[in-house]
Amino acid sequence: MSLDAQQRADRLAALPWERSTTARKGVFAPFVASVRELVSHRQLLGLLVRRELKVRYKDSALGFLWSLVRPITLLVIYYVAIGQFLGAARGIPDFGLFVFAGLTIWGLYSDIITNSTTSIVNNAGLIKKVYLPREIFPLAATGSALINFSIQFGVLVVATLALQQFPVSWNLLYLPVAVLIVLVYGVAIGLLLSALNVYLRDIQYLVEVGLLVFFWASPIVYSWSFVVESARRSELPWLEFVYLLNPISNALLAFQKGIWKGGSEDRVMGVDASGADIVVAAQPWPADLDLRLLVVGVVGLVLLWIGQRVFARLQGNFAQEI
Amino acid sequence: MTATRPAIQDPPAVIRVNDVSKRFVIRKEKSLKERIVNFGRSNLHKEDFWALRDVNFEIPAGTTIGLLGANGSGKSTLLKALGGIIQPTSGYVERRGRLAALLELGAGFHPDLTGRENVFLNAAILGLSRQQTEQYFDSIVDFAEIPEFIDTQVKFYSSGMYVRLAFAIAVHVDPDILLVDEVLAVGDEPFQKKCMDKIAEFQRDGRTIVFVSHAAKQVERLCDRVVVLKHGEVVYDGATDDGIKALRASFGS
Repeated sequence: MSLDAQQRADRLAALPWERSTTARKGVFAPFVASVRELVSHRQLLGLLVRRELKVRYKDSALGFLWSLVRPITLLVIYYVAIGQFLGAARGIPDFGLFVFAGLTIWGLYSDIITNSTTSIVNNAGLIKKVYLPREIFPLAATGSALINFSIQFGVLVVATLALQQFPVSWNLLYLPVAVLIVLVYGVAIGLLLSALNVYLRDIQYLVEVGLLVFFWASPIVYSWSFVVESARRSELPWLEFVYLLNPISNALLAFQKGIWKGGSEDRVMGVDASGADIVVAAQPWPADLDLRLLVVGVVGLVLLWIGQRVFARLQGNFAQEI
Repeated sequence: MTATRPAIQDPPAVIRVNDVSKRFVIRKEKSLKERIVNFGRSNLHKEDFWALRDVNFEIPAGTTIGLLGANGSGKSTLLKALGGIIQPTSGYVERRGRLAALLELGAGFHPDLTGRENVFLNAAILGLSRQQTEQYFDSIVDFAEIPEFIDTQVKFYSSGMYVRLAFAIAVHVDPDILLVDEVLAVGDEPFQKKCMDKIAEFQRDGRTIVFVSHAAKQVERLCDRVVVLKHGEVVYDGATDDGIKALRASFGS
């Protein structure tokens, strides 16, 4: 470990100077530099993700199972209250699978955003004392959300297999696309909010309310056909258009199209009083869904770049503002 | 002690501080409501405070330099600027080589993780890879003298055990530059001696140490140069014994 003093001095003399200033100039160069810095800290990122997961369920007997308790409880509530009492299940085949698919991907999005938002403030001790690329904290929050998502997704796949509703079709390709879009938007918004939350603690409460609004503004407990139907009935054709402006709605539709077999075929759901079959038609998936996903993805990448630049601009004062 | 230190042929500078100033804006409101209510009048609720003003100096490799000054003179701010933890308002700091900061021991510890998990986490924070940490692990535990508690959660540690483990990690990261903020007064007497021996070993290795302390004796023993700050400005930069006189003089007014 010890090195001859002269050798050390000679090695240091050959090293380039590193300058610590906030603003690196350029459009993409600073973004790339930050990404490179993060890549060089990937081992630490892994350790931070492990820490988050370990600490969350420390000293509890069920441990990891708790991460499944919440979505399954929500599933039961929506299944009973909205599916049976309000009757949504009559128009949505495999209602349980449908809701769980929506909850799974939405859970990823909302976990990334809520955990990221408080990540900088929660790691104040470290940020004040040690220099690290600070993006690592929102990313660690994203990593732990991703692991929770994987477990839930595993349960979802097992459920589709058990109910013999596993979709063997090209639609499966929508799944990774939907996850990527959610990741890009989650990280972009998470970076932005985590930095703003240092300066304005109101953000973390605003996020809770905002996520609640967007939860109901997305096709999670009701299906896309309900939106199309009410737009038609109320003669407000622009409603569909406005509804699909939300990038996460597009990702949700893609995810459902990928994993929810019942949405892509006509189903007979019982018989009516006269003895005729009640047929629920396949979901009227937006015709240009592929193009929409492409556009949403590109916009997301731009947003990610903006989020990182704002973060970089604001992080210079983190240590003194926390 | 100086005699045991190797002479380095024209040592390269490892830290350059160029015209560094740091302004803190002291705001008196924090919530959205207060900001909206006071919008437009917000300048009334701000106050400028210069923690550092036009600080300039260079640190050559292998020196041990002491930053001195009264409370609130800007020492710790300067140390944080050297470590890249805060960004100067104007001017810049340049440095090279691996840097480790002993600003607060155990800052990266998580109370609910075990000593072993914290060693890996903290070493990664200070820049060691997993393989390197594995290689030094036994030596870290030996240095901290807590082998029997390494798999206990650190929230059950005594404060002495806590800082000993943190110090042991920090000295094993093989830094070229070590920033130390009043943390050497930790542990019992034998452990303090051990720390001092480690510092002396670092000096023999030609590592650069930047040291903030109020203990004049410690500074006299360890440093070969001191910088004295007063109200954020450098009032003295030079040999140790005159520096301590300058420090005493700076308390005066």
